[in-house]
Amino acid sequence: MRRLVAILAALLGMAGLLAGCGGSSSGSNTASKTKVIHITFSGSSVTPNGARVDVKVGQKVEFVVKADTAGQIHVHSSPEKQLDYNAGTTEIQVGSFAQPGLIEVESHALDKTIVQLQVQ
Amino acid sequence: MGGDYSPLAHGIGGRQDLPVPLETAIVAAVAALIVSFVVLAWTVRRHDASDEPMPVSPVRERPVPRVERLVDSTAWRVGLRTVGMLLFAYTVMVGVFGQDLEINPIFGIFYVWWWVGLVPFSLVFGPAWKAISPVRTINAGINVLRGDDRGLYEYDEKRFGYWPAAIGLLAFAWMELVYPHNSYLGPVRLWCAIYVAAMLIGGQLWGTRFYANADPFEVYSSLVARLSVWGRNAAGRLVVRSPLTNLDTTLRPHTGLVAVVSVLFGTIVFDSFRDSIPWLKFTQNNGFITSHSWAPYTVNNLALFVFPLAVAGFFCAGTMLTGVGDDLDRRRLPVLLAPAVVPIVAGYVVAHYMSYWWEGGQATLQQVSDPFSNGGNWFGTANLKINYFFAYHPTLLADLKVLSVVIGHVLGVISSHKRAIAVLPRKHMITGQIPLLVTMVGFTVGGLYLLFAA
Repeated sequence: MRRLVAILAALLGMAGLLAGCGGSSSGSNTASKTKVIHITFSGSSVTPNGARVDVKVGQKVEFVVKADTAGQIHVHSSPEKQLDYNAGTTEIQVGSFAQPGLIEVESHALDKTIVQLQVQ
Repeated sequence: MGGDYSPLAHGIGGRQDLPVPLETAIVAAVAALIVSFVVLAWTVRRHDASDEPMPVSPVRERPVPRVERLVDSTAWRVGLRTVGMLLFAYTVMVGVFGQDLEINPIFGIFYVWWWVGLVPFSLVFGPAWKAISPVRTINAGINVLRGDDRGLYEYDEKRFGYWPAAIGLLAFAWMELVYPHNSYLGPVRLWCAIYVAAMLIGGQLWGTRFYANADPFEVYSSLVARLSVWGRNAAGRLVVRSPLTNLDTTLRPHTGLVAVVSVLFGTIVFDSFRDSIPWLKFTQNNGFITSHSWAPYTVNNLALFVFPLAVAGFFCAGTMLTGVGDDLDRRRLPVLLAPAVVPIVAGYVVAHYMSYWWEGGQATLQQVSDPFSNGGNWFGTANLKINYFFAYHPTLLADLKVLSVVIGHVLGVISSHKRAIAVLPRKHMITGQIPLLVTMVGFTVGGLYLLFAA
């Protein structure tokens, strides 16, 4: 039993060490270029349709929405954002995100996830 | 106001954890795999060493008479029941008189404090819900008025066991994960009302044993509490044991245990899976699903049932694929070995809800100060600044999540190993463990994959 515990401790220690090496790549890169995401609504479909987009912490995000009818996009950050767009092309400044995390961007009318912003 | 606000997703405002880095997930999966085979090799060695029956190691535990005197005192018990009743009264108040707004604290109380908070409290303090359960307290009150402590019938534990609780847990998961209007006051209030009514009627019909078997929250809490350090020995004395000893000595095979464990694990896995890109792509791009308005909801409902069924299926196959002697029915094996999955489930639950509990718990603490959404500050917590510690330390969060999954797996494997030795005939002791081991590695690696992918 004691030997087993020793082996486990060694393995877990190793796991922690390796994990520590893996995740430390973020430097001091704030607000470089604005991330532009093109969104197209047509009827009951939307593109992109459940894609994941990498965004840096503090980077500005802009949606360029082409739509056949007006509607609303929900950004599930904290606090949540509700963004209106018109028929035709609308440019929306979403702003930047201060906290790392996964943020869903949805159309509630279509009940679809458009993109997930992976902020890190 | 109407449909302007979104369902309370996991994480406040819908912001969710970043995925666990791939390297971390792989290291953890490899660790889980190695540990599993080290434990198996341990059997081989002990098996070869002698032909004598495996010695049963004495239970190592320490009585704690002082704590026992405290927790068994009437004042303590009444105190806890009072806490439970105050929480209950507050919840009823905001449920009935509160506004149908996102900031009504009932949502946080229901989805975060009650459902998620149950786990850390039970892990640290033992069977917490049993101690404060307002339905038990009200039932006891009715019994005092009736002048009779027993139910009308005996609860048939052998036949029904935990099955009612498994159904209750599935009903909660459906509310949380599938029902589209789960962040509206009406449905949450209705769910709670049905729960309380079912519990009070059940308590009158079948007595207090009903709660230990049919209250989904009590069954969940008491199951997780087996991994706490608190236990009672055969003489009923309060003792402190290692979590593994506690699990092995107190959790007896019980009808419906496989169902409860499968529902818990299956629904939480579904919760992770439904946010993953493959699932989104499938449900949003599939021609059939997108062209029928009823289809997305139906697919979600189906998935909620399929995940627990798949977990149960894998587990039953994994336990039954072994040689058995004449005196052992193969179909008894899943229920005999089911307790060993409890740590795996608990480890995954902790990983899944860690940051949600931290942030959602604080947000709820903030909201309870304003029960009627009119700017009140009853408890002085309305202006509490939420601490987003885990959001700013994603690497630490990822490591803690993976660590809790691996610890759960290690405890599960050791526990299943001990149980297999006790249950399986010597001839099949080693080979018989392999299918179960493969299943458990599958559960753990699947969980790690979802932490990475979702």
